[in-house]
Order: sequence, then C-alpha cells, then structure tokens
Amino acid sequence: MIEDAVALHRRGATARLLARALRYARPYAGHVLVSIALLMLVSAAINALPLLIRRAIDRRILAAELPVGVRWSGLVQDAAWFLVLAGGAFVLRFLESMLTAWIGQRIVHNVRMDAFRRAQSLDMAMLDRTPIGRLMTRLTSDIEAVQRFITEGLVGGVADLFMLIGVVGFMWALDRRLAAWTLAALPPMVAALAWVNVRLRRAGREIRTRASALNSLLQEQIAGMTTIQLFNREEHARRQHDERNDALFRAHLDEVRWFSLYWPVLETAQAVSMVLVLVLAVAGRSSGAAVSVGALAAFLAYVRELYRPIGALADKAGLLQQAAVSAERLFDLLDTPVTIADPLAAAAPEIPDPPAGGPAIRFDHVWFAYSGEHWVLQDVDLDIRPGESVAVVGTTGAGKSTLAALLARFYDVTRGAVRVGGVDVREVPLRDLRRRIGLVLQEPFLFSGTIAENIALADPARPRADIEAAARFVHAHEFIERLPRGYDTLAGERGGTLSAGEKQLIALARIALAAPPLLVVLDEATSSVDSETEHRIQQAIRRLMRGRTTLAIAHRLSTIRDADRIIVLRQGRVVAQGPHEDLLRSSPYYRRLYELLGLDTATAA
Amino acid sequence: MFEHRGAVALSVACVIAAVSAQTYAPVVIRGIVDGLAAGALDRAGLWRGTALFLAVTLAGGAASLWMRGVPLRMSHRVERALRRDLFRHLATLDPGFYRSIRTGDLMTRMVSDVAMVREFVGQGILQGVRSAVAAIVAFGAMLATSPRLMLVMAALYPPLILVFFLLLGLIRRRHEAAQEQQAELSNHCQETFAGLRTVRALAVEHLREAAFERHSREAARRNLALAWVQNPLWPLFGFAFAASSLALVLVGGRMIMTGRLTIGTLVQFQQYLLYLQWPMLAIGWTASLIQRGRASWRRLSEILERAPVICDGPRTDGSLRVVEGDIEFDGVSVVVEGRPLLRDVRLRIPAGRVVGITGPTAAGKTLLASLLPRLLDPSEGAVRIGGRDVREYPLATLRAAFGVVLQEPVLFSDTLAGNLAFGLEGAEDEWLRRVAWLAHLHEDAQELPQQYETLVGERGVTLSGGQRRRAALGRALARRPRYLVLDDVFSAVDTQTEAAILAKLGPVLREGTALVVSHRASTLRRTDFIVVLEEGRITAVGPHDELIARPGYYRDLVRRQELEARLEEPA
Repeated sequence: MIEDAVALHRRGATARLLARALRYARPYAGHVLVSIALLMLVSAAINALPLLIRRAIDRRILAAELPVGVRWSGLVQDAAWFLVLAGGAFVLRFLESMLTAWIGQRIVHNVRMDAFRRAQSLDMAMLDRTPIGRLMTRLTSDIEAVQRFITEGLVGGVADLFMLIGVVGFMWALDRRLAAWTLAALPPMVAALAWVNVRLRRAGREIRTRASALNSLLQEQIAGMTTIQLFNREEHARRQHDERNDALFRAHLDEVRWFSLYWPVLETAQAVSMVLVLVLAVAGRSSGAAVSVGALAAFLAYVRELYRPIGALADKAGLLQQAAVSAERLFDLLDTPVTIADPLAAAAPEIPDPPAGGPAIRFDHVWFAYSGEHWVLQDVDLDIRPGESVAVVGTTGAGKSTLAALLARFYDVTRGAVRVGGVDVREVPLRDLRRRIGLVLQEPFLFSGTIAENIALADPARPRADIEAAARFVHAHEFIERLPRGYDTLAGERGGTLSAGEKQLIALARIALAAPPLLVVLDEATSSVDSETEHRIQQAIRRLMRGRTTLAIAHRLSTIRDADRIIVLRQGRVVAQGPHEDLLRSSPYYRRLYELLGLDTATAA
Repeated sequence: MFEHRGAVALSVACVIAAVSAQTYAPVVIRGIVDGLAAGALDRAGLWRGTALFLAVTLAGGAASLWMRGVPLRMSHRVERALRRDLFRHLATLDPGFYRSIRTGDLMTRMVSDVAMVREFVGQGILQGVRSAVAAIVAFGAMLATSPRLMLVMAALYPPLILVFFLLLGLIRRRHEAAQEQQAELSNHCQETFAGLRTVRALAVEHLREAAFERHSREAARRNLALAWVQNPLWPLFGFAFAASSLALVLVGGRMIMTGRLTIGTLVQFQQYLLYLQWPMLAIGWTASLIQRGRASWRRLSEILERAPVICDGPRTDGSLRVVEGDIEFDGVSVVVEGRPLLRDVRLRIPAGRVVGITGPTAAGKTLLASLLPRLLDPSEGAVRIGGRDVREYPLATLRAAFGVVLQEPVLFSDTLAGNLAFGLEGAEDEWLRRVAWLAHLHEDAQELPQQYETLVGERGVTLSGGQRRRAALGRALARRPRYLVLDDVFSAVDTQTEAAILAKLGPVLREGTALVVSHRASTLRRTDFIVVLEEGRITAVGPHDELIARPGYYRDLVRRQELEARLEEPA
C-alpha cells in the first residue's frame, strides 16, 4: 500500500517534470502539430497497404471467374496504387523525421543556453560544493536525455500510437468479428510484455547507477595515478576498480536476462494472435461468416504490425523514466536559487565616478558567515578613501580574502553593507560593479585562445597596439615577444608552456588593459614563482596600484610597504589600523604578526 | 577473444535452431491457407496445423532466448576483461603518458570506446550471425518452395545494400564532425566553470555565453547535417520492403493465375518477407557496428600498445630489498621532445643529509627530484642510490623507500584518515595523529565535522590548498620513508605555519635523507647544503653560508629577501 502511494507520488512528480520539459517544446507547437499531421498521414497510408493486398488477392489473383487478361491489368493497376501510397508514405515519413530532428535540436539549444546561463551565475557558495563534472553532466547527457524524450519519446510515441490506431482501425474495417477477438486476446499478452519490460528497465537503471560509480572512481584514479604509483598502491587501485567493474558486470547480466526474454515473449504473443485469427477464420466459415483468403492474408499482416508499436511504446516508457531522472537534475540546476544577482529594480543607481565626496569603498558594519553562525567577519567597519591603498593583514583564516570576495560580490554580506562610491553593491548590476574592480587572483586562469585574446578577454575589439601597451605596462611584453609566436601563442588547457608567473603577468596585463578605477589584490602565495618573476609581478602590481583605490590582501612585504594604511584583522575583527610605523608602535599584535610574516624566521629558529 | 570460442559456437547453434523454427512456421501457415482456400481443411486438420504452428513458435522462442543471451553475456564478459586489462595497463604508464593525453579523452576511451567494443562483440555477433543464418535458411526454404519467387526476393537486396553502404560512409563522417563539435562544447563549459572566478572578476559572462551559443548552434547544425543522411535510412528500407512485397504479389499473382502457384505459398512468402525485414536491416546495422567497433578498438589499442617506459626490466635485480645509501646523479641529462631540460647534472647527496634545491622557474628542480622515485628516467647518465642505478631496484622496492609530496598533490575520495594512511597497510590511529601533528594538520582535522573520519574530495569536504598540501605531507611521512622529497610544499602556507612545520619536521628530516625544493631562503637555510639549478644545469652547490659568500643566484635570492626584511625595519 505504502509502496503504491510512493509510486503514485513519484508518478505525479514525473508527470510534473515532463510537463515542464514540454514547455521547451511550446515555441514549436506549430511545428509539432505539422509533424503529428504528417505522422497521421503516414500511418493511414502504410496501413492501407494490406487492404490493397487483399483486393489483389480476392478480386484479381483468386478471381478465377474472370479472364486472366482482365485480372492481370487489374493487378497492375493495384500495384501502381500501392507504389504511390508506399512511396508517398515513406517520403512523408522522412520529412517528418527531419522536422522532428530540427525541433529537437532547437530544444536542446534552448535548454543548453538556459542551463549554461544558470550554471555560470550560480553562487560561489553553491559552486564550492559542486564538482565541475556534475555541471558538465547536466549540460551534456542530461540535456540529451530530455531532448530524446521529447523527440524520440514523445513524437515517436505519438507515431507509435497512430500506427496502433491505424492498425486497429483497419482491422475493424476489415472484419469486426476477427478484430474484436484479436483485441480481446491482447491484454494478457500486453501484461506479460509489460512485466518483462518493467524488469528490463529496472535493470537498466541499476546499470546506469553502477556505471557512474565506476566512472567517477576511474576519473579520480586517472587524476591521481602518479600518487598511486609513488605510494605503490597500484594493487589497491586495481582491487577498487575490479570491485566496481564486477558490480557493473553483474548488473549487465541481469539486464541480458530480461532482454533475452523480451523478444521471445513478443514473438509468442504474435504467434498466439495469428493462431487465433486462423482458427476464427476457419470456425467462421463453418458458421457462415466467411473470411476471404485475401482478408486473411491482410489480417495476418496486421497482427504482426500490431505488436511492433506496442513494444515500441513500452520502450518509450523506459525513455520516459530516464528522462524524468535527467529532467529532475536539470531542473534542480535551473531552480537553484541565485542570490547574487542583478537588482530587480529597473532603475539601478549608478556608481558615481569619481565618488561624490565620501569614501570610495565602505564596509559598513559587515558581518559575514559562510553558514550559520560561524562568523568569518564580525562588525568590520572600514572606509577607503578615493586613491588610497589599504593593505589587510592577518593570519590564515582571519577573513582577509573574504573582504575582497564581498567587495566583488562573490558573496553577499550576512549583515551590514558594502558600498562602492556610496552605493550598496547589491543595488547595482553585477557587471557594472565588477567592471570597476580589477581583481588580481592568486591563481590566474587563462582560457584557450591566443595570449592577445587572453589579455583582451573583457573587450575583444581592442586593437593590438593597446594590448601590447598593456603588456608593456606590466613588463610582460618582453617574455611574450620571446615566445615562438609572440602574442599569437596559444594559451589555455592548463596554460600549456607558460609558467605560473607568466600567467600571472598576462592576468595583470588584462587588468592594465581594462583600467578599472578600483584594484583588489589577492597576493597570497603566488606559488611556484621564482624570485625574479616574483619581483616583476610586484613591480607590475605597484604600477597598477598607482592612482587607484586599492584593497590589498597582503602577504608580500612589498605590498604592505606600498600601502597608505594597514588594517589588522584578527579572527574576523579589525583590531588595529594605521600606517605601518604607527602600528608597530601602537599594536603589539601587529608587531607579532609582522615578525611572523617571515622577516626573521632564521633567527627565530 | 579465443577463450570465448565455445560461447560463439553455442550462439551459432542457437541461431540456427531459432531461425529454422521461425522459417518453418510459415510453411505450416501455407498448409492451413491452402487447405482453407481449397475448402479441404477439416476441424481436426486445423487443430493439427495450429498446434504444430504454436509448438514450432515456442521452440523458436526458446532457442532465441539462448540466441540472445549467450552472445550478450559473452560480450559483457569481454567488456569486463577489457576494462580490467586497460586499467591494469594504465596503472603501469608513467606521468609522461598522462601529460600527453587529456583526462577527458582518456575517459571517453574508457567509457564510450569500451562500450562500443562490447556492442561490436555482442550485438555484432548476434545480429551478424543471425542475419547470415536467416538469409541462408529462409532463402533455402524459398528456393525449395518456388525458385522463381525466391529470385524475385533475392534481386531486391543487392542495390539496397549498395546504397546503404554509400550512405553509411557519409553518416560516419558527419557523425564524427558532430562529435567533435560536442567535445568543443564540453571543453568550453569545462573551461568556463574551471575559470569561473576569472570570468566573474572580469565580468565577461556575456562573452563566454556568446561563444557558448556559437558552439551550441554549430553543434545543432552538424547534428541536423547528420540527420539529413541518417534519417532517410529507415524510410528507404521500409519502402524497399514494401516494393518487395509488391513484386511478390505481382509475380506470385501472375503465377497463381496461370496455376503454377498456390495462394498458400504466396502467403508463406509474404511471411518470410516480414520475417526477414529486421535481419536484412541488421546487415547494415552490423556493418556500422563493425566499423565503429573497429575504430573504438583502434583507439583502445593505442593505449594497450603503449609500452610502459618505467617498469622493471632486464636490469632489475630482484634480490635488492633495501634502498639505502648516498644518492648520486652521474652526468644526468633529460631531453623531452627535443628540449634539453637537465644537462649533465653531477651531484652527490650523502645519506642522512637534508638538501635544498632552488633556482628560477622551469630550471628543472621538480624534474631532478622526480628522477629519484623514477617518475621519469634520465635520457643520459644515471641516478644511483647506494651505488646502484635506481633502474636496478625493483620499482616497488624503490618507491617504497620514498615519501614524495608533489607540487600539486591529489587527495582521494576517502576519509582524512584514509588519505593519511594511503601508503600503508593497516595504519594505527595513533600514528596517523602523530603524522598529522607533524604536518601541522591536527588542529585543522579537529575542526572538520567528523575530525579524521571526515570524507574529503569530490563528495566530501573541500580542503584548502594549504590543507591539501599538509595532508599530502602527512601522507608521505606516514610511511616512514628513508628518502623524503618535498616539492614546494610550503609555498601555499604562510611563513608562520612554515616555521612551525619546519620546527616539528627538523628531527624527522634528519632521520633520513631529504630533498626540499623551495624558493624561500627561510626554508633553504635550514638545509645542510643547497643546490642551485639554472636552465637545467647545477650552477652552485654548498651550504648556506658558503653560497651567500659568493655572487650568484642564491646570494641574490637571499639578498633580495633580506633587503625586503630590512626595508620593513623602523627607521
């Protein structure tokens, strides 16, 4: 009982999901209707063929009372009709399939764009928890499953349904008694088919679950193969892989069992129906309801055709379930609430440039927690004047990077507000906000394309001269020129031949080109950079800072040195601020921190 | 595949049985229809006929149960074995191989290509054998019944198959084009999501979206181009069968009119026509399966034929059980794709010493370190430990002596404790806590939801870069290695944490031999001596005091870092 209720509930959910998937087909309702009309024509034409065969047999071939010449010309005439009908049906079927394919591709494109847009705008908090692989599955296989359901499943299902209706209709027209009996015998056979089908689909689901478990393990093992080898864990990895491989194998065997049963059941059902038709035909003759030989031949053809759409419809049910799972995951993505979004108000305030009088950046009693009450920032109240450069220092986990993330609105404050030029960052369009901020990330990312394209990422129309000027400004020009193809060298796919430091310089050139009024520097640990490149990066950052309001999350001494003011963060609170010299005198904590910043670890040891 | 010969033979036998029964059924129908047409069929005859028909059908059904089950089960066995072999092989391939192939490509091969080969084996054999047997048996039966009608049916297939093959080539090419675009689309997504912080920081979402839209439209266009050649296939075959049916009625009808054929025979032939529909279509399907299966098999063979470069070989001395002694680089050069990355490196590291390795980016520091546990073999010269070439030690023995922390460490989907114990069999909790403490990870662990039992990685908690490195350090220390290689472990931790770790680590480092790759003077000055690598060559070797006394990279490095320190001092 309970299981039934759950199943019923699930069915309701499935129906809702699919109804929503169908909404993507709505813009093409007209095309779908044309497609369905074509399907009806195809069904009518194809199912009329056995009638022609009957006429050929009864009125021409077996009409012994007529002269052979008349019968032959009649037969040729029937054949001509047959050819026209069959040819027309198959041309229409081709046209219909192209129309359906077109609709399917349009739908895929639309869903894909929606999913991409949503995935791209997901909150950082959400993205931190979502592996890229999962997003990729949504955008590829899940979308395809939904599309298959709509085109193959739905349009295909309608096609099957019309074929079924066509067959039954023509059978009915041909001989009601035979048709009635044949249909009456149908339910038990359909039940048997359904029974096998349910198990077949269940096995299919199990296969997909286990295959994805195997593949995610494999992906991880491939990524960590060097580690596995270094730790001599190959055997362990093999065992893990074998385990999931075997589990998948067993699920496959289960599917084979039901799959091999499916066709024999279908064939037996067909045979039983044929026997029924034959027996009834003979029995009918003795009771006076004669069935002509031609009608019998046509009937036998119909009985065969009867099961094909039934079997296909059952397969569509499998498609439906698969699509429902995919649709659910896809809609989960599309429904994921995005809190960091453009303001709804049509007339969003503009950030005044330069800011009218007040501070360029203001953290107004900001509280922030990634979750619950684990405060990362507590009541941070800060003003940064136009043109001022401020360095934030503190130990790991003091909340320094969070300040930068809040300013660029990667996250929203829990309490308080962040204001740029006097305007709450939540009230301006994201793009307007972020375009005014040059963010120097710890791990710069290059996209596939040339170096020039990467520098001009935000504005592809910029002329080469500007790009080179930007690269010169951050001292990246020299090394770029030395590359074999200069600015046209391909970057991306893990940066290829570029070192981490070179990537950072290219990222800095990006900012130099965009020339935003505000600069946020996350200079924590530019790892794996030699000191010479490091030196160049620091120089570049210094040049970028010149004349810009800067918030630097500082680890480098040079950054601290160049700052007009230093903010000391301790466990999410501002404990001191002021110029370096003042702080050294006034704040014992800063003094300790400053010592710990690695200036004299040698003597400390 | 030879071990599956029995299964193949059994499938063939089952196919013959099934097809024979299914070919005989129309013969029974002929009898009934002819009896019916002549009015000669009595009730007993009808029952006999229908009973026979049902019996034959059921026998055919039973045989077809096996006909499908046997080859399909076999195909899954082949698939399982193939996956197993592939993975075993992958585990023997060196980092060079993994750099040469994108993970996505490798996964595609391991997932789609393996599945394609399975289809090729299972469905290929099933449908191929079935089509062949069905054609032979059914045409044999037709030949026995009416040679002339059989010829009519036989004449219809060859042109069809020819047209089909032409279409097939087109389909394959367009299918590949569509797949390529799909990969393009995936790469674009992958890249966008991986670089999302940059995308956001630059506010270029709209540009990424526009590019994605172009890719998506192109994918749709190529899929439609594929549909133009793929979709006519079924209607074409359907039409061909309808035409055959027509030809049958025309020729057969003419023969009946002249009394050379019975109506029962015509019905029998019509049943054959219907029965052969799928097996004939399956010829084309099988052909495409074979083509795609072969292509997939080729891609998999490329992996399987890739000989492991780093493995035990004829030089391996199986009797070597212990790796100990001094490390010696004797004229070591490494050339990768024609570029010399290390040139004639000569270096001796006495056992028990801690050596710092420094130098500009891409000077070959990581490369030098990775020669020791044989992640790479030198192109020239030799790396020796205890006087023996590292290639003489059994690989597992050699690596067991090493604890390596890579520059970009990978943790696995397991608990934190599981990750720390990765290199061990049956590690004690006490020991894991100790190494976590050494790696300055214990406090972090205490703050995780389930402490050491917290799942990390894809499905668990995401650790920060610094935590990942410290976990990797703990993992390396846990196996009590005689040789420790730390590649830039401290760059992601602040100097305070670095100092704390180094203080704890000091005694541990001195228990064995350690190679520490670093850019920081604070780390390097704690080592016994420092090796400076520049453009693949050793330019200086010596203890800190000695190196700062003479001009060179190291003195510049230390000076710069000291200068910064002094600049900070209050005036």
